[in-house]
Amino acid sequence: MTRFSFCAKVRTQMALPLDTLQARASGDAQLARFGLDLDCALLIGDGDTDWLVEIARGKVVRVTKGPLVMPKTDLRLRAASETWTRFLEPVPPPGYHDLLALRRYRRIQIEGDIRLMSAYLFYLKRLFALLRAPDA
Amino acid sequence: MKATREPVAGHYLNLELLGRPHRLYVEEAGQGVPLLCLHTAGSDTRQYRGLMNDAEITRDFRVIAFDMPWHGKSSPPSGWQTEEYRLTSADYSRMVLEVCDALALDRPVVMGCSIGGRIALVLAMEQATRFRAIIGLQSGATIDPYYELTWLHHPQVHGGEASAAYVSGLMAPSSPDAERWETLWHYMQSGPGIFKGDLYFYRGADGDIREQLSAIDTRVCPLYLLTGEYDYSVSPEDTRAAAERIPGVKFTVMPKLGHFPMSENPALFLTYLKPVLAEIKARG
Repeated sequence: MTRFSFCAKVRTQMALPLDTLQARASGDAQLARFGLDLDCALLIGDGDTDWLVEIARGKVVRVTKGPLVMPKTDLRLRAASETWTRFLEPVPPPGYHDLLALRRYRRIQIEGDIRLMSAYLFYLKRLFALLRAPDA
Repeated sequence: MKATREPVAGHYLNLELLGRPHRLYVEEAGQGVPLLCLHTAGSDTRQYRGLMNDAEITRDFRVIAFDMPWHGKSSPPSGWQTEEYRLTSADYSRMVLEVCDALALDRPVVMGCSIGGRIALVLAMEQATRFRAIIGLQSGATIDPYYELTWLHHPQVHGGEASAAYVSGLMAPSSPDAERWETLWHYMQSGPGIFKGDLYFYRGADGDIREQLSAIDTRVCPLYLLTGEYDYSVSPEDTRAAAERIPGVKFTVMPKLGHFPMSENPALFLTYLKPVLAEIKARG
């Protein structure tokens, strides 16, 4: 295996720049508009890596990279890193451009409190869309 | 900013629909061949603002749209407080015909999107002689349910925001922000349970009409199907599957558009619609 292919493999193992999520979300007007009174613990699965995103009063207050030890979560969204990579493209292809598009084609697993997800779906979609911007 | 008045006129029509008195809101613009436009589930006539404000279209076509009962500025029928709204295929097609009669439309062109695109197929099957041509936007003969409808009408969820959020991804990422959010605002204003009640039409007993499509005779009434590529509720593959069962249908995939072509990006949509309207006009 060449050094290049090794690096490429590492890159596709984890697609979502969740380590930058808190900075990206900070001060975002759309999250503020749709995150009214939201408290939740969100598990995001990116391939084999789990992340815990904690949200209080609509603000992202902590992001923790797994492995996680039996965390208490309200909602869990998991997809393959290859799926997230396509989702993150500046103009994603049809079927990869939205969380529910991923769901429609069975590319994402969504489990947990679906009432909460439905009530805050604009917030969640915005949270993921913020990961699409090129800079942190 | 200088104030301008749009060439769109609205009025209320009192009529009997489905055997009950209704007060229906109707908008129109232009003159010529009547073009009756049907809005999507949980929305209203504002989706057709782009068509009604396009001088090239309104020069030759009288563009008409009505808010379905329970939608937009059309009220529900008296007694609604004890009913659950559920749209059915039979009621929907009967309603379209009753509105055509009430407005004395002579063989109009009918164009519908989403649930309107589905009823376009039903009208093509059952009422072809009544129409000059039929245009289905985002038409499918069956749909693949991919989310639970419960939360569209639930006391613990804001139905307007949830409905809008559930449909928001159906638009193309490249559609202009202002038009996308305008489209979503219409959903946010929808009455409680109405979007869900409209979807019953898709998911209820009338949910799968694949086997009936071969009854459509496009020699009696031309049928055009146009589908935006970013729609995953009725995808281009879904419309293609329907089109393959209908001899003579004209099917077009519209790149860079989604489930609400006339509303999410009117300027781009009109580049696909105008050649269709020109063809219909040329046929007379």
